This record gives sequence, C-alpha cells and structure tokens, in this order.
Amino acid sequence: MISQSQRITIWTLVWIALLTLSLPTIVVLGASFTSGNIIAFPPDGLSLKWYAKLAMARDLQQAFLRSLVVSLICTAVALPVGTLAGLALSRFRLRYEGAIQVYLLLPFTVPLIGSGIGLMLVFGEWRVLGSLWPVGVACAVINLPFIVWSVSSSAVLLDPDLELAAQSCGAGRVQTFLHVTLPAVMPGVITGSLLMFILAMNEFLVSLLLTDARTVTLPVQIYNSIRSIITPDLAAVSVVFILIALLAIWLLDKLVGLEVFLKSK
Amino acid sequence: MNMPAAQPADGERHAAVLVRDVDMDFGNGPLAVQSASFSLEAGRFLTILGPSGSGKTTLLRMIAGFQKPSRGQILIGGKASDAVAPHKRTIGMVFQKLALFPHMTVNENVAFPLKMRRFNPKDIPERVARYLDLVRLGGYGTRRIHELSGGQQQRVAIARALVFEPDLLLLDEPLAALDRKLREEMQLEFRRIQKELGVTTINVTHDQREALVVSDEIIVMDQGRIQQHADPVAMYRKPASPFVANFIGVSSFLKGEVTETGLSVNGFSCAGTLPRNMSLGSVAQGAIRAEQIRISATAADLASCDTTLQGTVTDTIFEGERLLYFVAVPGLATALQIYHHDPLGHAPHDRGAAVTIGWNARDLLIFPPQNM
Ligand SMILES: Nc1ncnc2c1ncn2[C@@H]1O[C@H](COP(=O)(O)OP(=O)(O)OP(=O)(O)O)[C@@H](O)[C@H]1O
Ligand SMILES: [Mg+2]
Repeated sequence: MISQSQRITIWTLVWIALLTLSLPTIVVLGASFTSGNIIAFPPDGLSLKWYAKLAMARDLQQAFLRSLVVSLICTAVALPVGTLAGLALSRFRLRYEGAIQVYLLLPFTVPLIGSGIGLMLVFGEWRVLGSLWPVGVACAVINLPFIVWSVSSSAVLLDPDLELAAQSCGAGRVQTFLHVTLPAVMPGVITGSLLMFILAMNEFLVSLLLTDARTVTLPVQIYNSIRSIITPDLAAVSVVFILIALLAIWLLDKLVGLEVFLKSK
Repeated sequence: MNMPAAQPADGERHAAVLVRDVDMDFGNGPLAVQSASFSLEAGRFLTILGPSGSGKTTLLRMIAGFQKPSRGQILIGGKASDAVAPHKRTIGMVFQKLALFPHMTVNENVAFPLKMRRFNPKDIPERVARYLDLVRLGGYGTRRIHELSGGQQQRVAIARALVFEPDLLLLDEPLAALDRKLREEMQLEFRRIQKELGVTTINVTHDQREALVVSDEIIVMDQGRIQQHADPVAMYRKPASPFVANFIGVSSFLKGEVTETGLSVNGFSCAGTLPRNMSLGSVAQGAIRAEQIRISATAADLASCDTTLQGTVTDTIFEGERLLYFVAVPGLATALQIYHHDPLGHAPHDRGAAVTIGWNARDLLIFPPQNM
C-alpha cells in the first residue's frame, strides 16, 4: 500500500516532471501568438499575424517541403532495410553478431558530426551533393539502428513455431513472410518507420553538412534565420513542428496503440 | 543420409509412416531420441505416450520434417520426409504451443490452409464453418484468438490442422488444456473424426487414459527410447517392462530371486508368470496391477488364490467409484497398492486393519533383468 505522504511526494514529482517537460512547449506556443515584433513570453498581445506571415514565407514553406521529401526518402530506404535487418538479427545466429551490435550502438557513441563529415566526403566523391535524396539516404544510414531495434524487439516475441505452422498450412517462404511473419512484427515496423520519419524531419547537423542554398531543409533554414534575427515567426514554425510530432503520435496510437509502443521500448 | 535405403520389409512396404533407427542429438546431453524404429499403416491412430522430456515432441517434429534426424531415416508414404518441401507436404499439425496466427480471426486461421492450398474460394467459407462445427466452435468464427479460452484455442488449432484433409495428422498434446469432461468428449470425438476421415494420425500425450481410449496402437517412450509398441489391450495386459507397467495403470513391484513358480521375495513365495530363459536364483522384478490383487478380512475368502499374504492397511484413498488401499506386508520393502470396487459405498477395511491379500500366478508379471 502507498501511504498518504508517499502519494503526495509521487504526485508532486510527476507534476514537476510534466511541467519541466512541457514548459518550453508552452512558452513557444505562447510566444507564437504575440502581436509584438520580438519573440517574448508572456506574449505581447494576442494575434495570428506570425502564422499569417508563415503562410506567406515561401522560403520556409519550401524548406518544409524539402524536409518532408527527405523524411519520406529516409523512411522509404529504412523501412525494407531495417525490417529485414531487424528480423535477421533476432532470428539467426549471425556470423558477425558482435560487429553488428557495435554498429547498432554507433548512434550513441560516434558524434553525429563524425558520421556527417564521413557521409559528406563520400557523397562529395560521388558528386551527388546538391540533390535531396542523399540527405534522405544519409538520415536513413545514421538512424537505421532505431528501426532495427524496434523491429527486432517485436520479432523476438514471435513464436518460431508460427512460421512452421504456416508451412504446414501450405504456405511457401514468401507467403509465410507476407501472411505471418510481417503482420506479427508490424507494430515494430510501424513504430520504427514513424521514428525514422520524425528523426529525419528534425535532423540538423547532417542536413547542415549535406545541403546547400538550393536544398536547405527546415531545421537548417531555421538555423539560418536565427543567425540573422530571432522573430516570432520562428516560434510559429516550432509550433508547426510540434503539431507534426503530435500527428505522428496520434498515427502511432491509431495504428499500433501507444501501449504497444511504450512496451516495445 | 546418402546411403542407399535398405529394402523395406514386407510389412513395412505400405506403411504410411516408417521410422528407422532414428537418433536425435541436440548436443546438450543424452540423445533426445535414440534408435527409434516403428512403422504405421495408413488410416491407423497411433499415440506416443511418455513422461515429460521423454522425446515425444522431438520425434513428432522429425516426422513432420521440421527437424532433421542426426541419424536414421523417416519415410512418409514411401518418400523420405525431407524430399518434399515443408509446404508441399499434406501433413496437418497441432503444435504443443498451438501456434495460432494471433493477427487473424478464428475463421481466417482455419481458412488459411485452404487459401494457401488454393481451394476454390467459393467453397472455403462453407468448409471452414463445417470444421468449426466439428470442433464445436460454431459461431466463434469472427473472434480473435486472444478472445478465446485455452481449450477453445486448442480446438481452433485442431480445426486448422484437419480442414484441408491431410494424409497425415500430427497432434502434440492437443487436449492438454481442456477440462476432464471436455477432454474425454473430445477424445471420443477425435476417434470418430479420425475413423470418419480415415486420416493416419500420430498423437502425443502423457495421459495414459487418453492413449488407451483413442488409439489403435500405442508407443511408450522413456528417456528417448521406445519402450514398447503395441495395441492398447496388449500394452495393458502385457507391459514389456516395469516402466511400462508403472506408466500405464497402477502396479506394485516386487523384487526377488527367480524360483520354479515365480519369485521368492525375502522368503515369501510369490507365484508369478516367468518369461522364458530365466535362470533360477537370478534377481528379477515382478509387477502386479492394483485391480488384480484381492483383499479380504478373512483368509478363507482367498482360498482360490495362488499366493496369499497377511498384511495391514496403511492408507485408504477414496477415488469415487473405487478405493485404493495401501497394504504393508512385513518383510516386503514397499506397500502393495490394491483397487477395491466398493458398490455398497462403505470401506470394509479401516486403516490399521489386518487383512489377507492374494493373487493368481498369471497376474504377477516377471520381467527379465535387462529390462529392470
Ligand atoms: N530445440 C532443442 N534444443 C535442445 N534440446 C532440446 C530441444 N528440444 C528438446 N530438447 C531436449 O530433448 C529432450 C526431449 O524433449 P521433448 O520436447 O521431445 O520432450 P517431450 O517428451 O515432448 O516432453 P513434454 O511432455 O514435456 O512435452 C528434452 O530433454 C529436451 O530438453
Ligand atoms: Mg512435448
């Protein structure tokens, strides 16, 4: 049983945590509605004028569209590769298991600037810098471990007899994969894909290294604006970003259920 | 194996399933299956019976072609079991852990083999419904698997294995999760369905009653070895080893020296049936079924018995339609177990009562020492 004092302590901690986590969001949300000309919280009067400005800002919009394209490319590349890699990892005693696990830890060990410069050199060598797809591919390469993890954590829960059962029902390899294996790891695949999408959407450092004036993505565009002046339209952009993240979470809930997502971590 | 197959013996030529000298070595201790050999005629119902860990599932999975034997040969319908790709075999299987498809409904699970085997899509719903009725799950078709009880899930697995009318049906403890009443109903149902469809069936269980009730033939396994292969009546009446006698039915065991008429146990002369070629004076073990020993308060009642002994009731267990007595005879190492059918419903012998017990020579089976 939890005593009264314990309950008070726990709830106090929960509220502090919630507040500190959501404070920046609240501040930026407030700031985006200001009617003044400088970014401030609490807002200096209420208006939607910065959103209106956003609607007119072609450079931001185009950067946003480019980010969208980059995210889609990243997800499209990572989805098949990550799914198969995740399944293979959980299923077979791989010959280079140790090496693969090290690779999966890379995003937490090698600073992004390192991988970013590496990729920049490779793509530069191939003379493909200047188009969008290398940025998408780069995001996929760097973040791949996330989808691999997500899929393989779904796959280890899979009863290996399930595939044998499918075979004894007359399903060949491909049919077994499509009808039984894939649906069983679907929660992991969806979670991983959304993760890849959001990560690519937010990817800054690698984008900075791989883009130029013609291919600049939203995070880089925002960074460029900050360097000149900080105006409230940036707060509005942030709010749009947050909305996209919320949309992703809503999708996740609809598709696999948040419970599954939280458990798969 | 690449060796040319030895010509099958006459009786084996038409076998639906032929297992010859099969070993399975997982490399983690004693062989999971050792020198298993048997053949099964088409249309027969075989039960593999044995305690937990005796290698039943392993043997079944090798027959299904999911595991390759370390040694030996398995022929299904005359063809090597691994000569045909797993999904081209017409073997229906119920897995020990069921392996139902969790993302599909009951209907979809049962329809899956029909779709994969390209049955006419128009016939599928009718056929699925028919087989769900057969396992008494009519009306459950639209449920998801996790919305069913353990026993219902088991019956879905049975329907899924039967629905495409396989040549061979492999069942790994399909009734284990059912309550006794339903299990006994399903056992009879199984027998009926099996006879109706004529499908060759291999069933795995550790329930000796189920083995006796449903099977045409029983194989008893222990520690990876086949102990005996016989029909239920022969298995019960003539167990090949003390292990089998102990595993099927309730038996008491006596250990002593072989005499002309049976065993001499600590000086007591116990009449029994001796196998051929037993040398007098050698140590052997005898087993007698609990229902073959008679018990009475008065020695005169048992005058017709070949052997009578005096003892004391040490325990009485009420089993409903019968009583199980434990009777200690001074000088015998273990108490003898004795069934007593009790139509009047009053236990005639209390704990501590002095009783006479007796049996006939044909009922004490004496085993050659190599089977001890
Ligand atoms: N995949 C495996 N790898 C290693 N050892 C195994 C494997 N499967 C079974 N064994 C071992 O082989 C032996 C026989 O196992 P098996 O599953 O065939 O027993 P069983 O008779 O089916 O028992 P139960 O009635 O408990 O299901 C056991 O000792 C088990 O530990
Ligand atoms: Mg088993």
